[in-house]
Order: sequence, then C-alpha cells, then structure tokens
Amino acid sequence: MVRSLIGGSPVNIPVVVSALVFCMLFSTILYPSPVAEISAEPVTTQDSPADIPVDVGADHLAILKKNTKCLKCHKKKKFKQLESGEQLSLQVSREDFIGSAHGEIGCTSCHEAIGNRKHPSKKTNITINSQRDYSVEMSQSCRLCHNENYTQYQSSIHASMVAQGSTEAPVCADCHSAHAVETMADYKPETGLPCKNCHENLYNAYAESVHGEARSNGNVIRDTHIQAPICADCHQAHEVNPLAIGDTLRSTCIGCHENVILLHNQWLPNAGTHLDIVSCAVCHAPFAKHKFDLHLYDNISQLPVSLQEGDEAIQQQLRVMEEAGGSVVDTLKTWRAKQGDDEQGQNSDISIRGRMEVMSGIAAHQIASKGFALRTCDSCHQDDPRKNQNVTLSVTKADGRRESFEANRDVLKSVTAVNSISDFYALGGNPNKLLDMLLLVSLAIGIAIPIGHFTIGEMIKENIERGEQ
Amino acid sequence: MSTIPPTQAQQNAWKKSPDSELYINPLPVRIWHWLNAVGFVALILTGIQIRYANMFNVLSFETAIKTHNWVAFTVIANYFVWLGFYLFSDRITVYHPELNPRKFFDKAFKQFMYYSYGIFKGEPSPHKVLAYDKFNPMQSITYQIVMLLVVPVQFITGIMMWDIKRFEGPIAMLGGIHTVDTVHVLIFIFFVSFTLVHAYMGALGHTPSAHFKEMFTGYEEAEEKSDQ
Repeated sequence: MVRSLIGGSPVNIPVVVSALVFCMLFSTILYPSPVAEISAEPVTTQDSPADIPVDVGADHLAILKKNTKCLKCHKKKKFKQLESGEQLSLQVSREDFIGSAHGEIGCTSCHEAIGNRKHPSKKTNITINSQRDYSVEMSQSCRLCHNENYTQYQSSIHASMVAQGSTEAPVCADCHSAHAVETMADYKPETGLPCKNCHENLYNAYAESVHGEARSNGNVIRDTHIQAPICADCHQAHEVNPLAIGDTLRSTCIGCHENVILLHNQWLPNAGTHLDIVSCAVCHAPFAKHKFDLHLYDNISQLPVSLQEGDEAIQQQLRVMEEAGGSVVDTLKTWRAKQGDDEQGQNSDISIRGRMEVMSGIAAHQIASKGFALRTCDSCHQDDPRKNQNVTLSVTKADGRRESFEANRDVLKSVTAVNSISDFYALGGNPNKLLDMLLLVSLAIGIAIPIGHFTIGEMIKENIERGEQ
Repeated sequence: MSTIPPTQAQQNAWKKSPDSELYINPLPVRIWHWLNAVGFVALILTGIQIRYANMFNVLSFETAIKTHNWVAFTVIANYFVWLGFYLFSDRITVYHPELNPRKFFDKAFKQFMYYSYGIFKGEPSPHKVLAYDKFNPMQSITYQIVMLLVVPVQFITGIMMWDIKRFEGPIAMLGGIHTVDTVHVLIFIFFVSFTLVHAYMGALGHTPSAHFKEMFTGYEEAEEKSDQ
C-alpha cells in the first residue's frame, strides 16, 4: 500500500494501473493517431491508374513511419536557395499531406532521388534552377502511378505550352498541389477550381451561363434535373484542348445535346452546314459579338494548318495583313509557296476555310438558355456596313493556342475570294462586288434594249413618214 | 367533181380547232409558260431579297429563302412538263423544222435584219408562224440554249445550295460552294435582262398584245387578221 501525498489515504496500485491503461485505450479511440486511422486491410488508392492495391500492412506502417520522419523535419519553415535566386520552401504541412490522396504513400515514392541516396546536405547538394524547373521535373514522378492521365496531359494545350517554354502553363502540381493532393471524393468541380485560378474571366462567364446557373441550382434547368457541364466536361480534365480548333466544340456540344441536329433541321435551312460552320455560341450566346473567322486548312490531312517555328515569312505576312490591311490571299500564296518548298515541289492542297465565331473566349462561355437563342439570320446573312463585322485570319500556333489576325472585310467580297475562299460563303452576308456591278449592267441592258429599240423604231418611222411626204 | 368551198363559218371553226395550223401553243405549253413566268419573277424577286437584305425588307431572310426554295421546286417540276411535252409529242419540230445549218443561219440573219430595221418600216416578219414551225431562228437558238443549258445549270446549282451537306461531294468537284453560288448568281443576273427583253419582244407582234393573247388562247392571231 502507498499513501497518497495529498490525502494520505492508501492507493491501490493495480487499480491505478488498470485505470491508466483504460484511459490510454479510450483516448486512442477518441483521438486516433494518423497511423491508427489506417486500416489493416489492403485498400486501393483513388485514381490510381495502375490500380495497385496499397498494402497497409506491416510494410505500409514502415512507410508511414518513414514519412513521419520526413514530416518531422519538413514541418519547419526551411528554404532552399535556387540558382534563379528564388527560394524554394521545403515546408510540408503534416495535416495537409496526411489528409491528402497521397497521405498513405511514402515521400520517397515521388522524391525518388532522395530515397536512393543520402538526404541532400550542404555537401551533397542538389542543384535546382528554379521552382518552375523543379515542378516540371517532378511531374515525371506523377507518371509512375498516373501514366494514363500523364499521357493525356502530354497531348494537351498545357503540355504544348510547357514544351514551348511557357512559364505560365500548368504542370501536375499546379492543379493538384504538390503535397495536398485532393481525393476525387473531396473534389468539388462547381467551384471552378483549379481552372479558375488561371481562367477566372472564363469561369465567371461560365458561372452566369445557363450551364453555370444550372450547376449552382443543383443541376436543374426548367424543373428538370440535368447534369450541367463544368470545365472538364467540355475541355477534358487532362487532355485540355481549346475547343475553337477544328470540330471539337461542335462534337462536344452535340455529345450532350443529342437531338440538336433534329431540332435544327425542323426550321433551319441547311442545318447540317450551319452546325458545321457556325460556332454554337454565335446563336446561343445572344449578346456576343461575331466575326467571320478564316483559317488555312490542309485538305490532305483535313486539319487546320498550324504555324511552326521558322515560319517567319508567314508570320511577317500575317502582321502586314493586320497592320496595313493586306490581303488574306497573299498569306495563302506565301503558305502555298512554303509548302511547295517543304515538299520539294509537290503540290500542297491548302485552302482558306471560314467559320462564324464569337469575338472572344469569354463570349463562348456565355451560353444562354434556349429561349434567348438568336433565330434571326441577319447577323450573318445581311451585308450591313453599320455592323462592321470583323474578319479575322486565325492560325494555330506551335504551342497549340490560336491567334487571330484582323483582315480587311472586303476580302470576302473580292473576286479572288471565289477561288481562294472557295469553301466559305455566307449567302447575302458578303456579296461579291463584281457580281453586284454585273447585276446593275444586266438591269441596264434589260431596260436599255426595249427603250432603245422602241426609240430608234419611232425615229426611223418618222424619217420614213417625212420621206413619203 | 367540183368541191364545195368551205363557208366562212367553217373556215373560222377549223382555225379554232386543235388541228389548225394556227394552234401554236397547246395547253401544256401555255401552262408551262405562265407558271414558269410567274416562277421566274418570284425567284428573281426573292433572290434580290436574299442577296440584298440590307436594301430591301419585304420578306425576312428566312421567309425569302423558304419561298425561293418552294418556288424553285415548282419551276423544276414545271420544267419537266415542258420537256415531257416536247419529247413525247411531234411538236418538237418547232425547235428544228429542218436540220439545215446554212438555211438556219441565213434565216437567222434575215430575222435579225427584220428586228433591226424592217419591223420599223412595217415589213412583214420573214418567219411565218405555224403550229409545227413556231419559232424564228433567233428564238429557236436562244430558247434551246436557255432551256437545255442555262436553266438546267441554274437548277443544279440551286439544288446544291438547297442542301449543301447532301451535295458536298459534287460541290467540291465544282470548286466549292463559293463557285457554285457565283454560277447561280451569274445566271440570275442573265435572267434579269433576259426576262425584261423577252417581255418587250413579246410586244413586237402585229399588235403589242398579239403574242400575249396567243400565249393565253393558244391560237396565232396574225393569220386571222390577214385573212380579214
């Protein structure tokens, strides 16, 4: 028996020990440690492309133990001086990491270089040029598990821009975060994140559109439950592409609005052609400004031609066209000449095609509900100088982005357009000036012949009558 | 045996019978002609509305297109009334009463001289209108070019533009939609002056209304007058 120091009453040691053990066990239940949270059963990580079951048995506990070691130091505010002069934060939030989709994965799974040798020190320093370079380099480690997504990303406009040296285009960690990687279950697409971080204007336009409003109203349009699209539904999550190029936009819209062709066929003459060459937003974003957008098209590969590095002559031609109101036809000639050179005299089949587009990407996201859609033909089929409708020549740049150069509107009305822009013509929208003149001549002939013939006849008759008298 | 000469009443009755040499415009031709005339005027007017919507606002673009299409299909169907009638009747000779190019051009020159000068002097037309020899050489050549070349090309280009998607292949073969439209508009431009001149020449009969009347009644009036 031991006497209590305070009360002096005797203490039963076995009872105290039992109570302490009970308290410890109870506190473990109430406040489990991160390690205790992990199930002993093998689990599959979400979005794990390899779908490799992560054994959280003894090995996994060892991994977590190692992670704990890493996180112990990296919870401190530490920085690494980079070659660029930037400072790379080495701090990793323990809570963020453990709560992330990667919380059950060993740090060295991604930081392989550190795992295979001693931890870098001042002696064995790792040289890193810049934060950007490090992010790009570390993206390779994502590939180890997420190969499918990584491959999709490689064909995205983001990857093209990175390859062309863009410091703005996102790599994996820019969207998913380096250490606080969200699980799919936690991901809330309606926030517009991560796209909104860079494309805020576009997201705001989307948020006010029929799609955005439906999302915020619980996916309800006109009392009907509809799964309204969010960024990735149209643009893809990893294979992100600008929809303005090729037929992507059309097929994306029709992907959900399956009966679009049928509905347009009921009232719109040449509905199929309209759906091919008029961007959906031209009519369905009723307040957007429109433009005739021309692009150079390779009839052999059946793709819009894209500007490559070394296409200086064409770039120069495009700048001249924009600044001095030069001709689109000159650009086509330059391009054809270049193609001829490239293909050692082989005939290239490049032509100019046209589309009706909205003036900006923001307008392309301002889709209104069906009741507000334009059903008037005038905006494209009326040659109204007051509207001053723009004409642009767009090219896809080497990084996959689209650049538009302003062209002279009269290019669509010139005689040469019959040959150079043979696949695009908006009836009444851009009438050929020479044909207008010929119509006047024809009308004049139609009036002059009867009047002339009649007048000459009367004069001859008069002369004959005078002669007889 | 001497034959009894027909009375005036009998002569008039014969002239008014379908077997008469003066019956130059049988019913199918008259139906075709007037339907075609109304159709052409409607197509020209709706065509102008479509092309110059910024200058004229009689019909909306959508209505103008739909009207143009419906009228065009009626005119195309009507074309086959004309084609069928001449292919399956002996009246086809009105276009080629005799296949002799030298005579044809000789007569054409005489007709041209008549329209240029003789008509004003009150000379009779060198061409005598008969049921199986209706057209003078100038009319014959013009109408054949129009009906066998110009009008079919206009129909074909119009049908292509009516459903661009369906005729994508042929449109590409012809050089694209811009080319097809240009050909269609060029022919429309030709028909603007053709229609005006055609209407004026219709008034160059022995009276200004003679040819118009015969296109309604079917009978040539000139012969009747000359007999009187």
